[in-house]
Amino acid sequence: MTDHADIGLKTYWVTWGILLGLTLLMIVLDQTPMARQLFVVVMLAAMSVKATLIAGTFMHLRAERLALMLMVVVGLFVTGAILFGLIVPDAFRILEMNSR
Amino acid sequence: METTAPIVDRWGGGTCPFDAGWKKVMMWSFIITDGLLFAGFLGGYGYARTMATVWPDQSTVFTLPFIAAMTFVLISSSATMASAVWSAQHGQRAVAVRYVWLTLVGAVLFLGMQAYEWTHLIEAGATLSGNPWGDALFGAYFFVTTGFHGSHVLIGAIVLLVLGINLARGRSTTENVEMAGLYWHFVDLVWVFIFTCFYLL
Repeated sequence: MTDHADIGLKTYWVTWGILLGLTLLMIVLDQTPMARQLFVVVMLAAMSVKATLIAGTFMHLRAERLALMLMVVVGLFVTGAILFGLIVPDAFRILEMNSR
Repeated sequence: METTAPIVDRWGGGTCPFDAGWKKVMMWSFIITDGLLFAGFLGGYGYARTMATVWPDQSTVFTLPFIAAMTFVLISSSATMASAVWSAQHGQRAVAVRYVWLTLVGAVLFLGMQAYEWTHLIEAGATLSGNPWGDALFGAYFFVTTGFHGSHVLIGAIVLLVLGINLARGRSTTENVEMAGLYWHFVDLVWVFIFTCFYLL
């Protein structure tokens, strides 16, 4: 097996610090009055950054060959996005029906 | 022909296009399919949440500092697991074993905290079919999704226990530590989504 992972021990613990910092920030923002839409966007952005850090650094995805990266990103995130894209409009349709 | 030649060279057979061992490719394939299962749970949750007229208020249902502590434990265990992989890759078996045990402690601690949280919610009246705070579907989505994640943590704890014993006895390979690491980070990754969607949004 070829080892592409050339990520240092220090990088893992810096990543750990960033992940904790982001989690703390999310909790602080949760207690802060903010427009709902802005809050959702900020939370989703922070969640995406955390997920990218874990997959990229801890799971060594950033050190893997592009083919493997694409397999994961396309396979998981694009398929997931299609799933969400298909069901979310229907949820709004039912909400509208219930509101009538 | 000049542009397709490298593709044929790489994917024409007899080579390793991902430049990774079969265990790693299979583990990533598992992670993708299992990740989509969780995407289905979260998609269903989003669906139910959007169409519900009264959804329980998280600040009433959950104790956020406690959930933050659970998140701290899981993220820290991911860092110790990454350190275990690094140590194993650099021939430091004894250090790797210690990091694996630390990760196992994190896994057990997380499971204990989740059991406490579930007990608290069940005592407050939350079930799969109802709850005192709002839409009846809340309990179903919460218990099924976090329960499924918890079962992954439990499996991870068993894997870590077996790995730790084998590694300490010199019966495990670096690749096995890497595979256990990939699985454990995936468990952490899923929690990032659960934490945001269930406890904050």
